Amino acid sequence: MTLPTFILKNAVRNKRRATLSVLSVAVSLFLLVMLQVALRELTNPIDDEGSSLRIIVRSKVSLAQPLPARQLQTLERIPGVAAVSPFSFFGGLYKGDEKFTSFAQFAIDPQRAQPLIADAKVPPEQLEAWKADRTSCIVGKLTADRYGMKIGDRLQFTGQFYPCDLDLRVAGIYHGTADDRNVMFHQKYLDELLGNPGVVGTWWVRAASIAEAPQVTDRINQAFANTSAEVRAESERAFVLGFVSMWANIKTLISGISIVVVFALILVTVSTMSMAIRERFRELAILKAIGFRRRDLFVLILAESFGLAMLGALVGAGGAWVLFHNININQLTNGLFLVFEVTPQMMGLAFAVAASLGLLAAALPMINVARTSVVQGLKTLD
Amino acid sequence: MAAPDNIVTIRNLSKIYLQGEINVTALDNISLDIAAGEFLALLGPSGSGISTVLHIIAGIDRPTSGECHVQGIDVARLNESQLADWRNQNVGFVFQTFNLIPVLTAFENVELPLLLTRLTRRARRRQVETALELVGLADRAKHLPKQLSGGQEQRVAIARALVTDPALVVADEPTGNLDSHSAQEVLGVLRALSQDAGKTVIMVTHDPKAAAFGSRQIHLEKGELTK
Ligand SMILES: Nc1ncnc2c1ncn2[C@@H]1O[C@H](COP(=O)(O)OP(=O)(O)O)[C@@H](O)[C@H]1O
Ligand SMILES: [Mg+2]
Repeated sequence: MTLPTFILKNAVRNKRRATLSVLSVAVSLFLLVMLQVALRELTNPIDDEGSSLRIIVRSKVSLAQPLPARQLQTLERIPGVAAVSPFSFFGGLYKGDEKFTSFAQFAIDPQRAQPLIADAKVPPEQLEAWKADRTSCIVGKLTADRYGMKIGDRLQFTGQFYPCDLDLRVAGIYHGTADDRNVMFHQKYLDELLGNPGVVGTWWVRAASIAEAPQVTDRINQAFANTSAEVRAESERAFVLGFVSMWANIKTLISGISIVVVFALILVTVSTMSMAIRERFRELAILKAIGFRRRDLFVLILAESFGLAMLGALVGAGGAWVLFHNININQLTNGLFLVFEVTPQMMGLAFAVAASLGLLAAALPMINVARTSVVQGLKTLD
Repeated sequence: MAAPDNIVTIRNLSKIYLQGEINVTALDNISLDIAAGEFLALLGPSGSGISTVLHIIAGIDRPTSGECHVQGIDVARLNESQLADWRNQNVGFVFQTFNLIPVLTAFENVELPLLLTRLTRRARRRQVETALELVGLADRAKHLPKQLSGGQEQRVAIARALVTDPALVVADEPTGNLDSHSAQEVLGVLRALSQDAGKTVIMVTHDPKAAAFGSRQIHLEKGELTK
C-alpha cells in the first residue's frame, strides 16, 4: 500500500456517497457550462471587420416604419460612406416550413450591396446570374443544406408584413458569412410586387474605414434631422445588440441561475465532505497518534476532497464539451441556435469552480482536525 | 537524573483540567520509574488518572507541571511535529476499541505507520509479515477488520503497534472489549513482547486479573500512587 492508495480507499469507502458527490458536482457543472454556452450564444453578436464597417439606418420612429427611397442620393453624398443599399426585411413564411421559418429574407440592391456582402463567397457565375435575374435570389449554405435547395429551385414565401408573396429562383448559394442562413433577393422585385411605393425597409451602409464609422453614423443621423423621415443609424453590431437587448433579462436570469447553482453546489459538497471526515475523526486521531503530522492529515483530506470535485468536473464539464462538440444544435433547435460552442474559458470556469469547491469542502474538516488533539479525537464516538 | 536502565522517568507530574470554574486534578504529583523491558500494569478504578499518565508518557498529552523523560528525552519539550515523528519511531499504541481502519486489510492496517518511513516496499512487507507472525495472524493478512474476531482485531492492532519496532508499547485497557478467552490471548502476546522481544510494555487496566499478567503492578487512585 502507498499513501495514494490509502487516499483512494478512503475516498471510495462509502461508494454511494462518493458517487453522489461526484454526480452532484458533475450535474451542476454540466448545467453551469450549458448556461454559459447559451448565454454566449444569445448575447454574442457577430464581431468581425465587416460588421464593424456596416451601418444600419432605420426610421427613428420604429423599425417597422419604412424609409423613403429618395434618401439614397443624400446618403451617397455623405462623406465616409463607401456603399449604400436598400435592406428590407421581408420576413415571409417559407412554403415548405410554414410552422417555423428559421431564416430571414432581405431585399437588397445586388449591385450596390456588393461591398456589403463581400464576405459572402459565391461562385462568380452564380453571382452574375443573380444580378441578371430580378426574380432570383442567393441562399445561405446552412439553409440550402437544411432544406435541400439547389440552383434553379423555386422558393415561395408568403408575406406576413408585406401584402405580397415572393416567388424566387435560386441563382446561387453563398457561405463564409457569420450567419449563412439568409436569403438575399432584389429590392426592385419587391418594389414591383408592391406597385413601386418608393420606400425601403432600412438602409445598409458601408463606411470607408472602421475609424470613420462612428462619425459616419453621426453624419447620417444629422443629415435627416428635422426632415419628414428622421433616421437612426447605428453600427450593425449595435443594431444586433439592440435585438439582443430583449435578451438582457434572460442574461440576468441565466447569470442568477448560474450563481444559485454554484452556491447550492458549495453547500452540498461542503456538507457531505464534512460528514465524511467527521465520522472518521477517531481514525484521524489514531493516525495522529501513530505519527501522522497535521500536514499529512491535511494532505489526506485535501486530496480526497479535491479528487472527488475534480472527477465531478471531468464528468460534468467534460461531458458538456463532448456533447456539444458532437451534436448539431442548429438542427436540434430548429435553427434557433446556430452554434453551441464550449469555449476554453467555460471549461476553465468549470474547473476553477471545482477546484475552489475541493478546497472549500476540505477547509472545515481540516480546521476541525487541526484543533482536535489525539486524546480529544480518541474520545469521540464512532 | 534517570538511572541508565530506566526507560521512563517521571518526576512530580501533575495534570489539572479546568472544567468550567472547577479544577479537576487528574494527576497529583506523581513520581515513577519504569525499567527497560518490563511489563508494567497501571491499575486503578475508572477516573483514577491511569489513562492520563499513559497519554503523557506516550506523547499525546502534556502535563500541567512536572517532568516525564522517555529514553532521556523530555517529551513535553518537543513541538507538535517533532512529537509526531518521535511517536512514530518510539511508541506503539494499543487502544481499548481496536481502532483499525475498516477499509484496509489486516496487512494494510499494520503497514500504516511504515508509510511515514523511508522503507522500501519490500522492507515494509517483511516487517509487516514479522509483526503479524508475532501476534499469530500471518494467515489473516488479507482479511478486513470486519472479517476478524475482537481478539484477532486487537492482535492486529498490537502488530500495528510493533511494526516500527518501537522501544515502548502502550496499551490502554486492551482487554476492555474482549471476552476472557480473547483477553488471555492478547495479554499473552503483550507479555511475550516484554519477555521475548525486550519491549517495554505499559498497560492501563481496571481489571486486577489483567494486571496480574504484568511483571509489576502500580496502583493509582484519585490521581495519586497508592503503592
Ligand atoms: N479533557 C478533560 N477535561 C476535564 N477532565 C478530564 C479530561 N480528561 C480527563 N479528565 C478527568 O481526569 C480524570 C482522569 O482521567 P483518565 O486518566 O482518563 O481516567 P481513567 O483513569 O479512567 O483512565 C477523570 O476524573 C476525568 O474525568
Ligand atoms: Mg481510561
